[in-house]
Amino acid sequence: MRAEIEKFLYREARLLDERRFEDWMNLFAEDGWYWVPAAPDQKDPYDGVSIFFDDRRIMKTRLERLDHPRIHSQKPASRTMHALSNIEIDEDYGEDGEILVRSNLTMFEFRLDKQTVYGGRCRHLLRIGQGGGLEIAWKRVDLINCDGAFETLSVPF
Amino acid sequence: MAALNDRALRGLVQSDRVHRDFYTNPEVFELEMERIFGRAWLIVGHASQVPEPGDFVTTTLSRHPVIMSRHTDGRIHVMFNRCAHRGAQVCTEPRGNARRFECPYHGWVYETDGRHAGAPYPKRYADGFLKGGEFDLAKVPRMAVYRGFVFGCLSADGPGLDEFLGPMKSHIDAMVDRAPDGEVEASAGTFRYRFGANWKIQMENQNDLYHPMFTHASTTARDGTQFRRLGAEDDEAGRVRLLKANEALNEQWEELAIGGHRYGHTWMEMFPMDKAQSGPVHEQYRAAMEASYGDRAAAAMAVKHHNSIFYPQWSIQYLTQHIRVMNPVSVDCTENVIIPLKLKGAPEEMWRAALRSNNNSHSPSGMVMSDDMEVWVRCQRGLASPGREWAVFARGMNEERIDNLGSFEGLGTSEANARHQHTAWLDYMCGGA
Repeated sequence: MRAEIEKFLYREARLLDERRFEDWMNLFAEDGWYWVPAAPDQKDPYDGVSIFFDDRRIMKTRLERLDHPRIHSQKPASRTMHALSNIEIDEDYGEDGEILVRSNLTMFEFRLDKQTVYGGRCRHLLRIGQGGGLEIAWKRVDLINCDGAFETLSVPF
Repeated sequence: MAALNDRALRGLVQSDRVHRDFYTNPEVFELEMERIFGRAWLIVGHASQVPEPGDFVTTTLSRHPVIMSRHTDGRIHVMFNRCAHRGAQVCTEPRGNARRFECPYHGWVYETDGRHAGAPYPKRYADGFLKGGEFDLAKVPRMAVYRGFVFGCLSADGPGLDEFLGPMKSHIDAMVDRAPDGEVEASAGTFRYRFGANWKIQMENQNDLYHPMFTHASTTARDGTQFRRLGAEDDEAGRVRLLKANEALNEQWEELAIGGHRYGHTWMEMFPMDKAQSGPVHEQYRAAMEASYGDRAAAAMAVKHHNSIFYPQWSIQYLTQHIRVMNPVSVDCTENVIIPLKLKGAPEEMWRAALRSNNNSHSPSGMVMSDDMEVWVRCQRGLASPGREWAVFARGMNEERIDNLGSFEGLGTSEANARHQHTAWLDYMCGGA
């Protein structure tokens, strides 16, 4: 199981780095969501504002924009490198078939001669989808600088 | 350039253009900190950020670290975050609750109203040396509160807050009166971002109706509506008509009113929605408003403006329900804090939609804000080069109607609001406003 989960997460990272955003979105369940809180230890996405809090519909809007010819903040496009480590798998989490995976994320972003490094802790809730493969019920990324001052962010973590 | 006397400063601003040094010269920036940010009333925060005695937030006011705290008697204080002894900042937590503030260096302590509460081992000081209030935390020279918004002024002289805000008070009222309880609350955290552009570039952008269809082209669908800015729910309130079809159809923007008041404040009218708000949540809100405001409910609920700018440092954005505090860091760097405002007494579903709207449009990843920041940074980079000396603000020149109290009104896509800010800049920098 561990090998399958790692393969799934590494592929997710690669899809983001290859800017295959629609394929990335399709890793999420239809009711799946992606959340990057703007405060540490935020309990609920409705407790406060979030850097990202996307259901599939917002995700689609955002990702279509990333492909838009006039998205100025991605001219030129960011190059990214997502690296996952410290993967811990909790197979007994929640309802049957749901697996909580914790990992550490490092993302390098290079754009306009500037390299930026982000670090955070990820939690993926995975389950077996209807097609028999894994899908993401939710993904939460707690950046260590979540309440810091950011420059423009466009590519998901 | 030559020494920055009045003549040199006046030379930077012409009626329809400003010189690139206006944005790029560090000496101009330092003078602005003294003559504009050192004199104007600046927003510190909102009273609801410190609801209980002992609550505090630390922030900066024109680059100076300050503490806003609520004392045991319920009163709010704005103090410089600097120990009276050897100058260390006494508090570095962004927010919290404290019984007292204790300096990390030698343990001098202060009450939450800034009063000096003692120094350890005081016997080696001369008798009475520490008494008499000389060693309290220094207060920001003036502070005042209007409808929960806390302001500070770094100058002991000059117009009071009431005069400074003038007709702009009604623009604060318009936000607060939309709450059935007549109060807003800043309890949802903040977004912060930092970008490489002079503070005035953002000021000139916020009421600019000429830019949305170009800067924000990537958020606008072919039918001319923008993505749902009020969250992903089918809340009926969402889609904003940003342009009808393509750049040839600029008329909608040109019909919108813009204007300004004394001291450089400006505003612009709310842009048209493609349908009226309706649905069960909206009806629940209407009922709450009618219970509070009676016949005045409809007027209080109306979103009349898109945003209003309180020169030189903050603005209210009405539909998304937030304030934007804009802190200059250096001549080519500005830090923003976005503070969402909850309408107390309104249905929870409305607040959830507003939070999601803020996430989608004004977070650091926000689909609107990210393209704005990109353009401001590009302006700063372009203005740093010597190929041309001027940035041009001639659109809709002389169309505005000006009254004799320093107010004016004009029509959208004109650059009149930026010109009004430039006039205020000259008043501050050369006239001693």
